[in-house]
This record gives sequence, C-alpha cells and structure tokens, in this order.
Amino acid sequence: MRKLSSYLVALVLTNMLMISVYAQNVTISGNVKNAQTKENSSAVSVIIKGTSSGTYTDDKGNFTLTIVKLPATIIVSSVGFEQQEIILSTSGSKINVLLNPTTKLGQDVVVSASRVPEKILESPVSVERVSATAIRNASGANYYDILKTLKGVDVTTSSLTFATPTTRGFNSSGNTRFNQLIDGMDNQAPGLNFPVASIVGLSELDVDNMELLSGASSALYGSGGMNGTLLMTSKNPFKYQGFSVLAKEGVMHFGDDERAVSPYHNFSIRWAKKVNEKFAFKANVELIQANDWVGQDYRNYKRIAPGGYVTPGNRSSDPNYDGINVYGDETTIDIRSNVLKPIATTMAPFLQNFIDTLNGGRSIDVSRTGYTENQVVNPTTVNYKMSGALHYKLSPKTEAILAGYWGTGNTVYTGSERYSLENFKMGQYKLELNNKDWVLRAFTTQEDAGNSYNTTVATRFLNESWKASGGETGWYSQYAQTYLGYRLNGSSDAEAHAAARSYADIGRPAYNSAQFKSMYDSIRQIPISQGGAKLLDKSDLYSVEGNYNLSKFTSKFADIIVGGAYKSYVLNSEGTLFADAPGSPITTYEYGTYAQATKKICKKYKLSVSGRYDKNQNFKGRFTPRATLTYKLAELNHIRLSYQTAYRFPSNQQQWIDLAVGTGVRLLGSNEYFSSKYNFTGNQLYDLESFMASPSTEVKYDPVEIKPEAISSYELGYKGLLAGGKLLIDIYGYYGQYQDFIGRKVMVQFKNPTGPHSIADTSNRYYSLPVNSTDKVKTYGFGLGCDYRLRNNFSVGLNITSDQLTDVPENFVAYFNSPKYRGNAYFANSGFGPSKRLGFNLSYRWQQTLLFEGDFATGNLPDVHVVDAQVSYKLPTTKSIIKLGANNLLNQYYYNAIGNARIGGLYYLSFGYNIY
Amino acid sequence: MKQYFNKKNIYNPLLALLLSMGFLISCNKDVQQMGDIQQPVRSGETLDQLLRNNPDDSLYYRLMIKGGQVAMISDSNKSFTMFVPGNDAMKKFITAISGGVVVPILPNAVFSQFITNFITTEQAAALVQYNTMPQAITTSSIPATFPNFFYPSTFNPAPSISSLFRMDVYPSTRNGAWLNNLPLTNVNTTAYNGVIHHCAGLAVPPQRYLWDRINTDTSLAYLKAAINRADSGSAAPGFLQGVLNNIGANLTVFAPTNDAFQITLKGLIAQTLISQGVPQQIALAQATALSSTPDVFNNSLLYSVLTAEKVKGLLVYHILGSRAFTNNFPRNPTPQPTLLQVPGMTNALPVFLNCKFGMPFVDSATVKGLGNPAPVNIIINSTPLTADPDGTSDQLYLNGILHKIDGILMPQ
Repeated sequence: MRKLSSYLVALVLTNMLMISVYAQNVTISGNVKNAQTKENSSAVSVIIKGTSSGTYTDDKGNFTLTIVKLPATIIVSSVGFEQQEIILSTSGSKINVLLNPTTKLGQDVVVSASRVPEKILESPVSVERVSATAIRNASGANYYDILKTLKGVDVTTSSLTFATPTTRGFNSSGNTRFNQLIDGMDNQAPGLNFPVASIVGLSELDVDNMELLSGASSALYGSGGMNGTLLMTSKNPFKYQGFSVLAKEGVMHFGDDERAVSPYHNFSIRWAKKVNEKFAFKANVELIQANDWVGQDYRNYKRIAPGGYVTPGNRSSDPNYDGINVYGDETTIDIRSNVLKPIATTMAPFLQNFIDTLNGGRSIDVSRTGYTENQVVNPTTVNYKMSGALHYKLSPKTEAILAGYWGTGNTVYTGSERYSLENFKMGQYKLELNNKDWVLRAFTTQEDAGNSYNTTVATRFLNESWKASGGETGWYSQYAQTYLGYRLNGSSDAEAHAAARSYADIGRPAYNSAQFKSMYDSIRQIPISQGGAKLLDKSDLYSVEGNYNLSKFTSKFADIIVGGAYKSYVLNSEGTLFADAPGSPITTYEYGTYAQATKKICKKYKLSVSGRYDKNQNFKGRFTPRATLTYKLAELNHIRLSYQTAYRFPSNQQQWIDLAVGTGVRLLGSNEYFSSKYNFTGNQLYDLESFMASPSTEVKYDPVEIKPEAISSYELGYKGLLAGGKLLIDIYGYYGQYQDFIGRKVMVQFKNPTGPHSIADTSNRYYSLPVNSTDKVKTYGFGLGCDYRLRNNFSVGLNITSDQLTDVPENFVAYFNSPKYRGNAYFANSGFGPSKRLGFNLSYRWQQTLLFEGDFATGNLPDVHVVDAQVSYKLPTTKSIIKLGANNLLNQYYYNAIGNARIGGLYYLSFGYNIY
Repeated sequence: MKQYFNKKNIYNPLLALLLSMGFLISCNKDVQQMGDIQQPVRSGETLDQLLRNNPDDSLYYRLMIKGGQVAMISDSNKSFTMFVPGNDAMKKFITAISGGVVVPILPNAVFSQFITNFITTEQAAALVQYNTMPQAITTSSIPATFPNFFYPSTFNPAPSISSLFRMDVYPSTRNGAWLNNLPLTNVNTTAYNGVIHHCAGLAVPPQRYLWDRINTDTSLAYLKAAINRADSGSAAPGFLQGVLNNIGANLTVFAPTNDAFQITLKGLIAQTLISQGVPQQIALAQATALSSTPDVFNNSLLYSVLTAEKVKGLLVYHILGSRAFTNNFPRNPTPQPTLLQVPGMTNALPVFLNCKFGMPFVDSATVKGLGNPAPVNIIINSTPLTADPDGTSDQLYLNGILHKIDGILMPQ
C-alpha cells in the first residue's frame, strides 16, 4: 500500500510539473471545415507531427493546441477525409483548414484483430468495421440493425429491443458462443450468460465504432468467442464534444394480426465536454418505447425430447394442442389413464371397455386452454440506457477513465421458454487506465432481473390458480367426465372434446379481465422457488484485466503484447434459477493470460503468433493458440491465412442451472452437486430418447463432468482495393472442427428404480443435462464482399456468405441455425445534390430457408427478404440532419427464429442535432 | 441536380431501378402452416336414411318412431352402432310378447299397429337404446375374447342417479358375431353416422337381478335354500344373496336344478348315515326323505353335514366373476376360474367349460368341476331368440347370466 501511495504522489507531481511546462509553450487555434459542404468538421484529429501530442476539433470545428516551439508541423486527419499536413511558423493567427472528403475505400483502422491499430486491409483475420459515419447514414432505426447488413452476420430478434448477433452459425436469442465487448468490458449478463448489449449497451449517439470479428477469437478475447466477437467502442469526450440530440418518431405494426398500428419513440441525448486538456466528461441518455413485436406463431407443436416439431392441428381440432406462442397449454395429461380409467375402476366398471376403446385405444392427451403471447406479455417494450464517463489525462500518454453504463427495460427473450424481462436492470462500471503502451481495466457487472418471469410457467400457474388441473372437481375431471358423457351419447370425438373444453373452461378469466390481471400479477411476483414464475437473478461479475505492448523493447525482434484477465462470478438467484440458496450465492472464477508476437518479414509478410491459457475453477486449464500470416500482394492488397482456436467453458447456467421449465423437464447444470441432490446414484438415469425409441433398450446414463467445447479453424482470405481504389473486395473461406460440442439430452428417472419402467408413469422425473458430443462436428463456409464507389459519392455493395455444418451425429441437436446462403446489397450516398445535403441508403437482405433448432421450438424458417431504406437531408447551419427511414420498407413480416417475435415494417422520421 | 443524372451517370439510376425491382418482387412467405388434422372422411346415407329405406327394417324403424329415437340417428354429428333385427326377428319378438296372439304369418301392418298401440314410448325407447351403442364400431373392433366383451349401450335406465350410467350389452366375435347370445346376421353396413349390424333377434334389456330369478323360480328352490343356508353363517351373513342382488356385480351363475340337488344331497346324507352305523337300506330311505324338500338345508340335524361354510364354498364354485354366454364358451374343455378361492392357493379353483355348435346356435354346452367324474350339462334354452323369463341357458340379468345345469359342480 505504501508503495502504491508513493506512486500516486509521483504521478500527481509529474502532472503538476507538466502543467508548469505547458505554461511556457505557444498556443495556436484554428478551425476545420469540410471543403465540399463548408460544414464545420468536428472530432477531427490535430496532431503535432513526430509526437503523440494533439487534440480534436470541438463540435464547432475549432481546436486549440499548445506547441513547445515553432516552427512545427501539424497533421489534420479524419476518417473519410484526405489527410493534411500544415507547417506552422508563426503564432497568433487563426488557422483555417479545409479537408477534402476522400472517395477511397478501405481506409478504416481496426484494433480488434490484433489488439493493436492496423489498417483493415492488413488485418490478419476477417473483420468488419462500422464507423459512426456509417451509423449516421444507415437506414435502420437502431444502430444495432446495421449488424444485420454485415458480411456473414445472423441476428436473432427476440423482440424489438432484444437482438442477438452471431457469425458462422449457432444463432439463438441467448448466444453464449459470441462475445460482445463494450469499451473492453464483457457485456454478458452474469446470470443469463449471454450478452445483452442491445438493451444494456451504448446509446446510439455515443457509438464511435463497432468491430466484428467473425469466427473463433478466444486466443485474444478468452472463453466464448467461438463464433466471433463484437467490440463496441464509445466516443471519447476529448474527441467528440458538445450537446447532441437524436429524436426518432415512428410507426409500426401495419397489417399486424395482433397489434394495432402504434408509435415508436426513440430519444437520445449526449453531452460531452472537454473541460481542459486534461479533463473531459460525457453523459448519455437514451429511451426507446414502443409496442413490441409479438410472437404469434400459433402452429401446433409437439414437444418431445430432445426437441420437437410442428404438427397439424389447432385448438379446435387437436385436444392436445400446444401452440408455439400460446402459453399454459403445455399442461397436458392422458385423460384415459389419469381420469377415465380411475372412474371405471371405482365408479363405473360398466364403462371399462368403452373407455379402453376410445380414440382407438391410444392415449387421449388433453392440454389445458392457453393464452396467446399477445394476451400475457406486456405489450410495451421500454428501454432506458444511461451512461457517463470521466476522462482524466494523467499524462499525455495515460488516460484514466471512470465510466458507468446502466440500462433497464422491458423486453422478451427466448430461452427454453419465452421470458418476459420486466424492469430488468444491468449496470457495468469500470475504472480504466489507458496508456499508449498498456491498458489496465477493472470492471464489474451488476445484474438484477427485476420482475422478470417465465411466461409459460406464469400462465400455467394462472390456469392452476383459477381452476386446479387435478382433484375430483378439477379441470381435468370436469373435462373427462363431460367428454365421456358426450361420447356415450354418440358425439364424435371432436364434438365431445369441444363440449368438454367448453364446460371445463367455465369461469376461465378473460385475458383482459381484472381477475386475470390480479391472478397473473400475483403469480409473477412469486419466485419460482416458491411456486411462482419470478426469476430472482442478482448475479454479479467482477473482472480485472490488462495488457502491455512490449514493442518498444522488443521491436527489433518482434512486436510483443502480453496480457491477462481475472473474472469472478457471483451467482445469486435465491434458488430461482441456480442451485444457490438465499444468502448463499455460488461463486466461481476463471483467469487467463496471453501473449502475442508479430513480426514483419521481408516487408511483404507479417507473421503473428499468439497463445492464451485460461483456467476455470471447475475445469482444467485450456491453451488456445493462434497463428496468422498476411502477405502483401501489392499495395493495398493482402492475402491472409490464419489458424485460430477457440473454446468455451460451460456457461454458468450449464454448470449450475436448476430450473423446472414449463414442459415438465428440469434443466440441470453439469456440476456433480446435482447427482447427490437428485439421487442419480440411488435411482439411475436413463436416456429418454433411446427409451422412447425402444422401451426394451434401456440406455443407462451416469452423469460425467463435461468438457469445454473447442473449435479449430483455418481461414484463407483476400482483401484489397482494385479499380483505382474504387472497388474493395473481401473474400474468405474457412474450415473448422468442433470438439466436445456441448448440447443437452433429456434423461428420465423412473419412479420405480428396479422396474418395470414405463414412460406413462406420471411420477417419473425428467432432467435435461448438458452433455458433450463425442463426435467431431465440422463446419466450413465462405464469404465474398464487394464495395464499389461510383461517381459523386454514390456507392454500391454486395456480399454473399455461406456457412455449413457437417458430420452432425444422428439425432444430435446442434442448434447451428445458420442459412446455407445469405446476402446483402446496398446502394447509398451519404452526400449528394446541392451542397451535398441529400443522402440515402437502400439496402436489401436475404437469408435462405433453414431449419431453426431451439430449446423453445424447432421448425423450418422460410426465406427472408428485407428492404431497409432512408433518405436524409442535412441542415448545416443548424448542424442538423433530418432522416426519413424504414426498417423492412415493404412490411414483409418475417421470423428469424421459431417462437420469436414476428417482425414487420417500422417507419420513422428522425431529427438529429450535432451528430458526428 | 441535372449533373447527377446525365448520360455518364445513367448507370446509377439504372442500377437503382434494377435493385428496386428486385426488392419489389421479393416477398416473404409465412412459416409453413401444417394444416388441420386429417379427419376420417365419412360418406353415405345416415343411419336414419338407411333404416327408413330398407323395407326389411320397417318394423324396427316403427319401433324407433314409437320410442322417439329417430332424431338420435338422424344427427350427422353423432355416431352409433345399431343392432337391428329384421322384420322376421321383430315378428318373433312381438309374437312372444303378445303371448302368441300376433302370429308371424300376419302382415307387417299388424305388427306395426301392435308396436304403435301396445308398446309404450318408454318401452320402445328402452329397447332401441339398448340395441344401440355409442360410436361406430365395426366387428373388426369387437374382440373375440372370452368371456364376453361388454360395452355400454345408449340406454340409461336411471339418468337421475347418474348421467354416465349405461346398461351394458355384450357384443362378441368369438365363434361368429353376436350381441349377447343373439347371432348377427349381416354386419358392418356403414352409414354416414354409424354402422348397422343386423341381428337375428331383438335384445331386451334385463330388468331383474340374479337373485330375483333364483328367489322366485320354484325350479331353483334348492339353490335358493342352499344360498340361505350359506348366508346363515356368522362369518359373512347375507353375503351370497347380497352379491346376487348387487347391480355392480358381473357374474355367471351355474344354477343346479332341484333334481340335481336332490340326487347329490341324497347321496351325501346316505353316506353320512351309513358312516354313523345306520343300515344302508334305512339310510337310503332316510336320505331320500330328507332330501325331498329344500328344507333339507334348514334341518338342524344335518347342520354338521351341510355346514354353512361348506355350502357356501360349494355355491361359490358355481359362480364365475364374469359374464359368459354359451356362444362364447370354448369349443374344447377349458378352465375358467370361479369365485372359490382356497386358502394357500394363488388362483381360484376353475371349472372347465365346453360347447358344441349347431348352426347358428350352441346345441350343447357343459361345465365340469374338478371333482366331477363327467361334465355337467347346461340345459340349452329352447327359444334362444326370445326373452323367456323361465329360460334355462343364457338368461341375462342386471348383474349376470344364469345357466341351469343338471348336476352339482364338485370342487374336489
């Protein structure tokens, strides 16, 4: 501690000394404008050549810079403009700079691919970058929508404010194979285990850029990242200053079967100020409010282990109807064995044979009457995001950042059921020291599930609340006796079922009644562990990480970076989600360290080798190597070759979940704790699927420790500029192999350990356990992207990608969920017409049909075609932009996951002030 | 603005146009709807139409009209299985219930008039409902198991007690096709709303219990006396009579005739007297006298010989726990458990059933106890197609079937 204090004292003295040094220097000021539009250019970098000293223009295009001595050269640069060097020989006069926009493509600089800045053309792996400019000119109503247009990206939309991107397969609402980092912080909700950046992330006005790494990326970013990593970086208040406003008003739900046309509101405010050369701050607020997209797939679903399938029938024709987006109808029993036969045994032996022959002797499965998602889920989705940061330059090379990001809202996501996240809150808070050569970051993620609940469980309990399923006067007794009476009177099966349901449903509260609201509200306030539907998740994540660029010491040999990270999870669900108990949360930790060496060889080759070692408290350590080679084919043309590995420790849920889901199956984690809790040694588990296929073949299952899943991937790519810098081509192909793939299997624990075993026994218990696939699953694919810059700032682009999975074992549910082919095309101009004030963007997305596999529902998704568009007009005198845009312009409703919301057109008009 | 759409830049709007066209022809399909569950396709005429248009069913149709049951079989939303006697069978039935006044040679109109005038609406309704089963059941769905398969008819004699109560009928496809003990003559005529099986007779719903018959039939006086003796025991007083009076029971009673009892009792008493030192001739005379009336079971001097327990055991050995019409008997001697359970033995003691068929009925049937040197004959009813209150075999009651037999079944 004494040592640390002395360092701090030294640090303060150093800064005081530097302030006194600054006081003796020459101060110059200037203004930067766009040479074409004559607009003031903000956030333009102004650096003294040969040093790291510099500044940025403010929101009026002005800058002030202190120079030690004259003459000096300053470099004025900004992405999208040609760089200028200006020699200063005298002080006093104001410098006016006109920057010429450049039409060159591929000028972006990325950091994510190697953890050091490099031109995107020289990136050793596939990477996509979305700049603030691209966001400004995008047609999507939300910046997150841009991800859908990137090469090889699939996005699962659970609701308006809950979107989950991924690349190269394994698309789902809660994707644990794709990392999302916000300003360096892992955005995963510690309890849910998947990123929630779309609801607790950056506000649109504060996004500086997004970089997306496709495919395996654990070697740099640790566990997860099997399928890619998305890094979102916010705007630095030193660079982006001033007061900004973005207001979007829209309408949606045209032609929606379940929702009337309703407004969409999205307001963002950002205020950033550089107080002086050492201190700056920023604050952001964003609100989104709308009537959410709603799941309205009412097809009949047959739930079987380990998945299910869509089947003919509806509520009228199938007494055991289980609509995908209908809840409460998961409660089902065979009324013959559970109600009618006991009646025959105890009260009416003369009906014995009649009962036996009903329905051809097959089971008479009957489900309770459910409620549609539209009836049970709060229609209003709300999302508040707030963030703020204090930036202090400890020295010209070292910046300290204290930042917080907090979000809350209502949304819906799809896991094993549809979960209604109400008043879900998550905050991420960090302290970061960012030096030119090193980064040290400590952050915590604090999650609070708020009033979130499982809609299926809540609705099933609601049914039990107004009329219990069992008992002599219960719903099933009433149903079965009415059914029997009608059949005895000669009624057809359908007529008898209809009459029985009608009778048993007497007293069923209408979804919009006060009785329904009272019951439902009561149930969803009771924790799952106490027989309700509420999730009590207040899990936390604590992390410390850092890296050091040793290049200044090792550059003669190679550029070397070393780093490490430590994460600690505190899982606190009070027994509603995990196997924890009130007051006794589960804690786990993991740590890792990595190193990377990069060396240029013969000016044309750049070789990079890296490796990372990670250890989880409950699993053996993992080493993940990576090697990349880039070859400079010609100026601005590079070939890349890489070997990458990635792994994923079983998520916290896969280790510790202990949750009874609506289908009568209990989801369990892999931890050995569950073996004793549920007596797996005393009462053997059996593979349900095998038993159902052949009851005489009983396949025993002894829980074993699962291993982290891993992937090894090879990629060959080319990225380069052709046609005089007007045509950007990016092409790649990859091949990968998964090992120890983690899936789930449903096991049955029979009521009678010694037999005989029967699946009809209602006392059997069913458990879904994580398991490793023993087979090696292979994946391969390719991507091709072209961007062409036409005259007068018009641009057109096209990309097409393919991902495939092979060697999947029979009956193994892989959840790959990626179309064989998908593509995007766009035609855009960010400034044309008089004074370059007009802009537009017309984009088209296509996704080929695919079999979507999910814990909630599985089925075929048809082709999806979506057109997004916007036209904009700049008002330079007021630094404003007006945009008229549409997501899904043609209002072609589509699903991108079975059971998820049905998405239609969203049309908006936005006004932005001081948008960079 | 003109500069942006000059000749040199014409490819821009052209490209935009092409893209736009591509967009406009793009159309998302909804997720594939799986359609509805395929229901069996029904066709043809309704039961009502089939019966109304078949001249040979006119008398039964008249019975339906009288009973107000036409609406039931006209309802195309429901389905039934009808056992329909043709006109000849209906005539036999009417001849029987008219006491022979309405003879079969009379024209149909006479029988039709009889139905209209002499059968009450309630009776007609009960008869039709008893010969009708809910749901369409072809003979392929009727098992050939032994004993008879029972299935509810649509006749509920006590709806005020339970809306689910139905009187059972006993269809079978063993040894042919049957309703109770009546042969089906023409089966599986399918209608839009059901199926018709023509029957050689009209099944009549039972109205009495087994005990009612035993209690009132003087030809079964010994059996009645034996039951009373058995029920006089202290262990379970009134047990047998209670069972035979219980609506929930489902029995087959082999009822020995008075002669059968007399012969057996005479031998048993004589043997006992001889063993007590009484000379054979005197013993035989005394045994003949003692066994000449059913009161033999009330003779306190014989209580040690005819103990309540022993008589009860003997009688229970004459009862099956299921209904067995003779037409359902096996064609080779086959064991069938009785209600007699011997301590220490897992299974009840069986009797051996056997039948022989003439066409279309059983012309002989036997039952043999374990202790019988030869099978005992079931006395085959001479008028199987009509309900004879004094019939001998296949007599259907609310709680079982009674067959008169000409011997006593001996368990050992």
